[in-house]
Amino acid sequence: MSDMIHDEYALALGKEVAIDSVDKELRLLWEADKASTNASLINLAVYSEEKGAIIKNSELMQTITREHACRAILIGIDREDPETSIRAWITAHCNLSHGQKSVCCEQIAFQLTGKATGRLRNTVFAHLNSDLPLVFWWQGELSPVFTERLYSLIDRFVFDSSHWAEPLASFRCIEQVMEDAEDLQPMDAEWTRSFQIRIALAGLFDDPLAARSLEHTTRIRIVIHPDHRMAGLQLLAWVLLRTGWTRNADLGLDTPRGDSFHLETHEGSDVTAVVESDPAAPPIGLIEFSCADCTVRVSRDAGSPYLHQQLDAGDHQIDRCTPANEDDAAALVMNHLSRGGKNSLYRSMMPVFLQLLGGDEE
Amino acid sequence: MIGFRGGLLFMKNPFRKDLVSRSRPEACTVVIFGATGDLTHRKLVPALYNLQIEGALPAGVKIIGFARREKSDAEYRRGLEEVNKKVSRSGHDDAIWDEFAKNVHYHQSEFQEADGYQRLADKLDEIDRERGGKGHRLFYIASAPAFFDDVLEHLKMAGLSENKGGCWSRVIVEKPFGTDLPTAQHLNRVVNRTFKERDTYRIDHYLGKETAQNIMVLRFANAIFEPLWNSRYIDQIQITCAENLGMEGGRGGYYDQAGALRDMVQNHLLQLLSLVAMEPPTDLSADGVRDEKVKVLRSMRQWDTPELVAQNVVRAQYVAGHVDGKRVVGYREEDRVDPESMTESYVSLKVMIDTWRWSGVPFYVRMGKQLPKKATEISIHFKEPPTVLFNALSGGVPGGNVLVMRIQPDEGISLRMVSKIPGASLRLEPVKMDFHYATSFGKGSPEAYERLLLDSMAGDATLFARRDEVEEAWKFIDHIEHAWHQSKSPPPMAEFVAGSWGPKEADDLLAQEGHKWRRL
Repeated sequence: MSDMIHDEYALALGKEVAIDSVDKELRLLWEADKASTNASLINLAVYSEEKGAIIKNSELMQTITREHACRAILIGIDREDPETSIRAWITAHCNLSHGQKSVCCEQIAFQLTGKATGRLRNTVFAHLNSDLPLVFWWQGELSPVFTERLYSLIDRFVFDSSHWAEPLASFRCIEQVMEDAEDLQPMDAEWTRSFQIRIALAGLFDDPLAARSLEHTTRIRIVIHPDHRMAGLQLLAWVLLRTGWTRNADLGLDTPRGDSFHLETHEGSDVTAVVESDPAAPPIGLIEFSCADCTVRVSRDAGSPYLHQQLDAGDHQIDRCTPANEDDAAALVMNHLSRGGKNSLYRSMMPVFLQLLGGDEE
Repeated sequence: MIGFRGGLLFMKNPFRKDLVSRSRPEACTVVIFGATGDLTHRKLVPALYNLQIEGALPAGVKIIGFARREKSDAEYRRGLEEVNKKVSRSGHDDAIWDEFAKNVHYHQSEFQEADGYQRLADKLDEIDRERGGKGHRLFYIASAPAFFDDVLEHLKMAGLSENKGGCWSRVIVEKPFGTDLPTAQHLNRVVNRTFKERDTYRIDHYLGKETAQNIMVLRFANAIFEPLWNSRYIDQIQITCAENLGMEGGRGGYYDQAGALRDMVQNHLLQLLSLVAMEPPTDLSADGVRDEKVKVLRSMRQWDTPELVAQNVVRAQYVAGHVDGKRVVGYREEDRVDPESMTESYVSLKVMIDTWRWSGVPFYVRMGKQLPKKATEISIHFKEPPTVLFNALSGGVPGGNVLVMRIQPDEGISLRMVSKIPGASLRLEPVKMDFHYATSFGKGSPEAYERLLLDSMAGDATLFARRDEVEEAWKFIDHIEHAWHQSKSPPPMAEFVAGSWGPKEADDLLAQEGHKWRRL
């Protein structure tokens, strides 16, 4: 069985190399293929403690490197394994650029087990491409491995909070990281899942009638898939951040689970906000603003590549499609990488989001 | 949530803040004059469609095609769809197209027919009513230049050119913006009688290209270049626009009236030159950037006698030869070209910019048809270092540093430097560091028209030419045209074999200063 796993690793991860000769073996790899171009704009590290994830991540890298030239560093960790070991593999993902040139990105995969996991920082980060930013994609729950010694090296920290069993505790940790490392850019896949919805919603509120109706909103309805409560609450937090409306926890509808809220506009009117779960919905299936004479709605059917933008204000109607975010993690990471740069919006949204998540009740 | 912008009252949209790092395009009705033309079918509508695919087109944008031929909305949409399927950079999606096409309408009218504009005004009012109030309007004049005046005057007469009730009315004017200084000034007068200068967008699609936009980023976001960006360190600058096509597709008729100098140098290449040579702007506002660009154009030394033109400018036509392995005819044998034509298909010139920064640095600009390959690029040739250490070597130091900005195709940046060849002896060779956009950023760049259309909807004129820029460029060009076509002793027309890199006279132009054209 063990041999079969090793064969699988070799097939997916390339040539196994001694840990002290990774750089030398990479040089040999390029010397053997003079026709290819080695490209890299970032170091992209992918970390997982799930068994076998390193193989799946190597396949994701084949996709990601088509659009984002990087040095990929895959990290597989098994803290429970009694054996202490570090193994490494190297390969390159090559793609034809515009049908002409073969452009390749290096990949180094590390599997660390047992006590060797403590050597993660020194082992892995000795192999970064110098001067290029480090994007660190953490898959799964945050673990004791995630310490200041690790995140102090990271430029952009990618994670998916939809997988977290204890989101409040984990977000508290992220909040601390954002305080400690001001230059670190957090990127939550749940936040990216709402990116096109936010664009589409902003587009609808460009309309003068929609813009005028915003202050008269009486109800906001968000429909999410049960696995994506974080995405729904972050979207609502963004609405609160941008409108300046506040949560009024004194009114009865507000529940401890935080799925429905009483809000108050600048003028003191009440707005009911509901985040509903629907197992048949895509991660975010709907956001709808209603008032007496206008409804602004962005919706999406499960599996559809489009968002449906609708404005219904009596005689004045808008009804059109715009692109939706893809749902899988690799596409979300690619979407994030495409936008690059620094964005303070997530940091600004975080306090409001933590309040909705129940952080103020502690 | 109410604000003022450009003197206009508007409802603030709080959701736009921090969402996308660019000015916010506003929903409007785009009226395209020349709606049945090639530019509309191949560039403008595909650009708007791709913006919709990307989700960048504001909700509620309507498109009205204005042209002379009789067509129904359905026929017009079908024609656009056929072309879009062939040329759209992100492919063609039937579902998205159907949504997009619902907002595309056709308006039949002659350009000189006042009633046609009144009917257009009625149609726009109807769209605004459906929208629930007044709407913004963007008029795109993509018709033949002969109709520019008519379109503008009639827009004014129909009351369509004024900002009303908190809504703007803007105009985009396609090139050619005049054929010389007097016609450009006339057109500017007509435009400014009709639209405010701040609502006028003179389009130069070269400025919408990623690499053209990157010139400012390269210069001002990297600390290593700007300190060297002056006559102390730079020996010469070359701007090349080479095309490996001739007068295919009936282009000879237009081209033989225009020529390389007016068709490409007056607008695209002088715009690139001004971006390369300008001082750092105080900010990135439209006028902040354009103020600096126009100073460059104003500082160009004028070649205002036939003698100066003969010394500093070379014009030429290609004769029959081979391009890409295929036999091609000479310029004068091309379709729709006068057999005795004195229009240049190739031009190279030396430009001197009389400023402190550029004193004594020649800018060599060349543009030609039927050259060996298609390439547009800017190369910055740095002065050679003192060779006290290496001049004893056989061959000395092989050339100075060259920084190249490739505009198209294969957009990118390269830097040539000198390196030691490995071995026991000290031998030097030039090596090249090369950055390719396509290799590093797998995702394709948007078409220039996409960016420019969004900018005009957002009221950002940074990438559009201002009145004084256009006129300063024409002033420089007119002296040369005058020497060629109206002086008693016009400089000669040179010849070169199609498929070669231009006439010997162009090489001599650089040789006078000890320079050579960069090998592309």
